[in-house]
Amino acid sequence: MQLTGMQNTLGKSQSMSDRTATVSRLEEVVSTSEEFDRIVSQALPMLLDRATGYTKRFLRETGQWNDDIEHEKFALRWGAEYLERFLVCGRSEVPCRPLFLFDSLVAKQHSKPEPFCYHPDLLRPLGRFVDGLVARAVVSRDALIAIYHHSYGWGPGEVIAVTGLNGLESQRIYKNFRRWRDTGWQRTMDEMGMTKAELAELGNQQQRHRQRFNSEAEQLIRVAQAHYRKSEPDHYPCLSRSQWGEMFTQGYGCDYRIWHLALCLDCMQTAWGLGSSGSAVGEKPRLELQVRP
Amino acid sequence: MGQEEDLELYRSRLLESLNGRSSRSLRNASDPIQVYINERRVGELEGRGIGATLQVQCVDHIDTVQLRTEEGILLGGLAAPEQGFRTDRLRLSVDTIELCVHNTAQGGTLSALFSPAPSFWGRVWKGIVDVTDRLTARRPDTAIAYGGAYGMRTVAFTQALLAIAVVGLVADRATIWMTPEPTPSPVVQTASLPASPPAETARLEQQLDEVARMQAKIGEALASQQNGIVQLHQAVAKLSSTQESVASSVVMVKEEVKEEVKEELEKRLEAVGRETDRTTRHVANKGRIEQEQLEAAIHSLTADNDRLSKEVAGLEENNQSLKAKLQTAVANVPKSADPSPERLLKMADSMQGNQQPFLFWVTFSEGTSQESIDQWVNGMKGHKGALNEGWQEVRIIPPPVPPDRFLEQIRGEKIIKAARINQ
Repeated sequence: MQLTGMQNTLGKSQSMSDRTATVSRLEEVVSTSEEFDRIVSQALPMLLDRATGYTKRFLRETGQWNDDIEHEKFALRWGAEYLERFLVCGRSEVPCRPLFLFDSLVAKQHSKPEPFCYHPDLLRPLGRFVDGLVARAVVSRDALIAIYHHSYGWGPGEVIAVTGLNGLESQRIYKNFRRWRDTGWQRTMDEMGMTKAELAELGNQQQRHRQRFNSEAEQLIRVAQAHYRKSEPDHYPCLSRSQWGEMFTQGYGCDYRIWHLALCLDCMQTAWGLGSSGSAVGEKPRLELQVRP
Repeated sequence: MGQEEDLELYRSRLLESLNGRSSRSLRNASDPIQVYINERRVGELEGRGIGATLQVQCVDHIDTVQLRTEEGILLGGLAAPEQGFRTDRLRLSVDTIELCVHNTAQGGTLSALFSPAPSFWGRVWKGIVDVTDRLTARRPDTAIAYGGAYGMRTVAFTQALLAIAVVGLVADRATIWMTPEPTPSPVVQTASLPASPPAETARLEQQLDEVARMQAKIGEALASQQNGIVQLHQAVAKLSSTQESVASSVVMVKEEVKEEVKEELEKRLEAVGRETDRTTRHVANKGRIEQEQLEAAIHSLTADNDRLSKEVAGLEENNQSLKAKLQTAVANVPKSADPSPERLLKMADSMQGNQQPFLFWVTFSEGTSQESIDQWVNGMKGHKGALNEGWQEVRIIPPPVPPDRFLEQIRGEKIIKAARINQ
């Protein structure tokens, strides 16, 4: 027992010493991108904890923190997000002191208005699923196209018909669907910290209380869409039916249609039926959240 | 405890994901690359094996540029300074993307250039070019002397020449292969060469000569093509520097124009201000003079008005006294022994002082008796004056109507033949 205790003490002491050494290396000037990559890749755990700590502090100071695993996961997720951006963009800032650069990057993010989409309901499993999906759609076209499936249960053909796409774009939609099913969905779930048990529970809720499940999901998806739609280009606002009609008829604004209709439930209702070239259309779509891809 | 494990598992997964981002296969070469500025999607770069560019101009400063796959994986990016340029060259497996951000006070500009890795034939061609480059390295001055258009023509000509050479060689081989004799083995062929007819040997020699000439021409063409490429490179470099200088000149000119426009505007504003001041002063002076004149006129009018008021008051006073005198005279009339008109006129004269009798001349109709005439004069409360050439002078108290109208009235009477005022 005494030996184990000593080993633990030695281990902790070693860990502290390593950590100090890592910090002092990060505080020194790096001159090349390769050196930056090498030093930063050795310090990822420390940097992740640092970014997570900053995020926790920001949440506490803005009255959004609660001591539970949901908030811990939220802080971890954003810490990882900041770290990824630092890994990519920081190497263009050499020569620099990586630690100070990292701190300034996180501070810059936290100085923005609404740096992330925070809502207590979005921290629960259903909210985390919806938040993860919409947040991913902002940076991934695969996830963007998958929103049509997860929101309305549509396949590629229906997405193409609803958005009124041409042949070349249609091929791309099929690829987006395939990649999302193969890897995209799982990666997103992992990054959101969704466990298998949570996903299974969501599936059960969907089966047993479909109406309530969809109603809750609609409320949450509206919150998430309102936040993440800010990442759309400025010139993609909501349109009237006649404006959508003109766009569909004249065949311009493919990106506009794909992006905005995926991220706006109301505009989907407004533009419903315009992409089907006059063929018979059914009832306006209602949110039917799909958990699986 | 379960929650702590869950959290630790999540943390490990995130770290694995961050660690593995450089090692995993990041991108399918045929997929477009999504471009984000300040975490907002602005467009995409086609990645289908051809060069592609994307130019984006923003109103705001560009803080960050990110490149992502369609799956959302972050491929690369850069953080830009608040002012000035930042360029970066990102290697995506074999392809490269050059990013250039320029931030100014007016906003930011991003220029992204996607350069795919050269294909096999591209690399072969590059090898040939390198070889010819070495061959022609001894004549750099000559290469500089030619223009870009000549280089392009040389490339086309060389390609055509090469194609002709290849076709010729293939045709030659095909002719040999299609001969009816069975193809001899190399050993047999070597042995049979001396036995071939002289004409065939001559033809082969001629063909060899032609091939040698073609080779020489190809060498020359390659050399000139290399020259052309060098010229092209130089032209592109020159164009780039010219473009940069033009861009900087445009910026400078813009600044100068701004300054000039500003100065001109200031001058004009100053001149307009001066003119306005002058006009305002002139108008103010004129107004003041007119005001003074008006005040003087009002003053004189007020004085006249006062004087007139005094005169009117005096006249009224005089009138009152006259009225009183008249009443006294009327009261004294019954006491008078001689109520003749002459006396009345005298009384009126004495009462009114300066009041003169109205004098006129009349002629009477023929046959009018003296009695009728006297009666008419008495009716007029007048008296007769002198008689001159048939005209009788008559004096009366001034009539209440104007003289002309009075004469008209009396002319209408039967006994009056004519009437006039002057003799």
